[in-house]
Amino acid sequence: MNIYETVIMEPFQKFYDKVIQFLPNFITSIFILIVGIALGFLLKIILSRLFTAIGLDKASEKSGTVELLKKGGVTEPFSALLSRIIGWITVIIFAGISLSALQIPSVETLFERFLLYLPNIFTALLILLFGYLLGNFFGRAALIASVNAGVRFSNLIGKFTKYLILILSGTMALEQLGIGKGTIVITFAIIFGGIVLALAIAFGLGGRGLAKDYLEKKIKSEEKKDEINHL
Amino acid sequence: MTNFAFRKDVQTRIDEIREADILVGIPSYNNAKTIGHVVKAVHAGFAKYFPEKKCVLVNSDGGSTDGTMDIVQNTTVEDYQSVLLSHRVSPFFKLTTPYHGIPGKGSAFRTIFEIANALDAKACAVVDSDLRSITPEWVELLLKPVMDNDFDYVAPLYHRHKYDGTITNSIVYPITRALYGKRIRQPIGGDFGFSGRLAKFYLTKDVWETDVARFGIDIWMTTTAIANNFRVCQSFLGAKIHDAKDPGADLSAMLYQVVSATFDLMETYGDVWKSIKVSEPGPVFGFQYAVGLEPVAVNLDRMLERFSLGVRELKDIWKEFLPQGVLAFLDKAEGLKKEEFNIPEEIWVEIIYSFAVAAHKKKMNREHLLKSLTPLYIGRTASFVIEAWNSDAQEVEEKIERLCKVFEEKKTILMERWD
Repeated sequence: MNIYETVIMEPFQKFYDKVIQFLPNFITSIFILIVGIALGFLLKIILSRLFTAIGLDKASEKSGTVELLKKGGVTEPFSALLSRIIGWITVIIFAGISLSALQIPSVETLFERFLLYLPNIFTALLILLFGYLLGNFFGRAALIASVNAGVRFSNLIGKFTKYLILILSGTMALEQLGIGKGTIVITFAIIFGGIVLALAIAFGLGGRGLAKDYLEKKIKSEEKKDEINHL
Repeated sequence: MTNFAFRKDVQTRIDEIREADILVGIPSYNNAKTIGHVVKAVHAGFAKYFPEKKCVLVNSDGGSTDGTMDIVQNTTVEDYQSVLLSHRVSPFFKLTTPYHGIPGKGSAFRTIFEIANALDAKACAVVDSDLRSITPEWVELLLKPVMDNDFDYVAPLYHRHKYDGTITNSIVYPITRALYGKRIRQPIGGDFGFSGRLAKFYLTKDVWETDVARFGIDIWMTTTAIANNFRVCQSFLGAKIHDAKDPGADLSAMLYQVVSATFDLMETYGDVWKSIKVSEPGPVFGFQYAVGLEPVAVNLDRMLERFSLGVRELKDIWKEFLPQGVLAFLDKAEGLKKEEFNIPEEIWVEIIYSFAVAAHKKKMNREHLLKSLTPLYIGRTASFVIEAWNSDAQEVEEKIERLCKVFEEKKTILMERWD
């Protein structure tokens, strides 16, 4: 009897006690998750309507965000996209809270770490987004300015400007995420310095004649200038 | 009306003068070489044509470092007999002041309008400070229609070299005429006459932080006068010869400011231009005569090079708003030799209207959009130069008239795309 109680019943009793003890947390956790999903869904609908009402789609069209999203293959309205993102963030936050409601120490620690890391991910994403926007903007500005200045390799200048900003923002994003902190900055500095040095040598050696011609033209004013008064 | 405060010395001078019948403003920036002649011409004009009136000359300067303001202060007509003047002359007043705000002609004009308003001037005029062909008669021609004929705005009419004023001839004149129905040949001429009433009206508009404060001021003044039903006329002033512009002046910035101001005005006066179907000539003052003009050097090869470079590199940007037909034409034109190169009126009008619609629909950053027009404008200018190589002034005017007609004919397409 004793053996039966010790070997069979006692573990079952303990398991039963633990289940009984855990059940309220589990139910609370499920409840929080359901509330989170419902709230996320509700927020998505309300915010979508609110954003449409305040003219967010038009504003995003003006700012060039729509153009950017289209390039990335996103065709749905900006208001719908933003409300969907906020809805999902709500669901994820509630999912985290529901996990911590389970009161399992290892899950709690993991969740705490995740929460602490979350702002880094968010900031890194923002840096990438701004980097992409700025890269496109300044790349195009550099291309147009150099075409108007009559520079033959305008396309190269435009692309160089764009990718330089993209690489810079990528480096900053990785730095923000704490991935290879010092290494990335040093790598970037070496690559960037290398490119500049390579260009300097290339232009110095390959463009000697060109530079000579250019300076001669500038100094001797050989090129026939327009005297058109455009206005 | 926005708040505007004069410098203390300017306010004191305004208080001394109290009021004026006539005011002529000269905007300037490092024009020491030419402004003396302009001041003398204006002074002689006051003495010869308005001896009984209280006249004020205002120099609104952008911070010249070459002594422009000193020259204005120290220049006078000492020998009235040289301008065939024997009658009594009322004293005239001179006021020089640096303007504040965004550096540019528009900000200089704003200061002139404010002084005209403070002095309650009846008739005003503005003339460029780099003019070499201005005579005392310009003062009469710009002001008399306001003083005696009750006009509110007097636009200049000049004889210019066939390659001069290409932004005016290929964009601003035809589009203004097609949109607002008035044939004002030099809408951005730079020398205008206007009533005190119109100066006050200009000041009610809050545009002084926009491109209007820079090169956009001329088209803004003309369009505002026409669109608000002020009485508009033109005065024939003869030849317009002025100091050579700084060769380093950025064409794309100039083009951007003028075209941007024109497109902004299309937004402001949408209801006005959509209701206008045809254009009509207006009253013209002054005795018209032929004048000899200095030759203008052009470098066609360089212009065609710039056009081709633009087509090669900026095609992807234009793809977003230019019609397929125009893009196909540009592709073909890119490789053409000088002898075969031509951008027809129809294509040019399609290009300008497409840019207007793209700016209206905010297809991309406005500055990027309008600065990308520069190579196309250079191409059209090259095409015009080739076309008009052997043409006289009359034939060139006929060509411009033809372009204007196409702008008017295609206006319906613009209206369809606009909405």
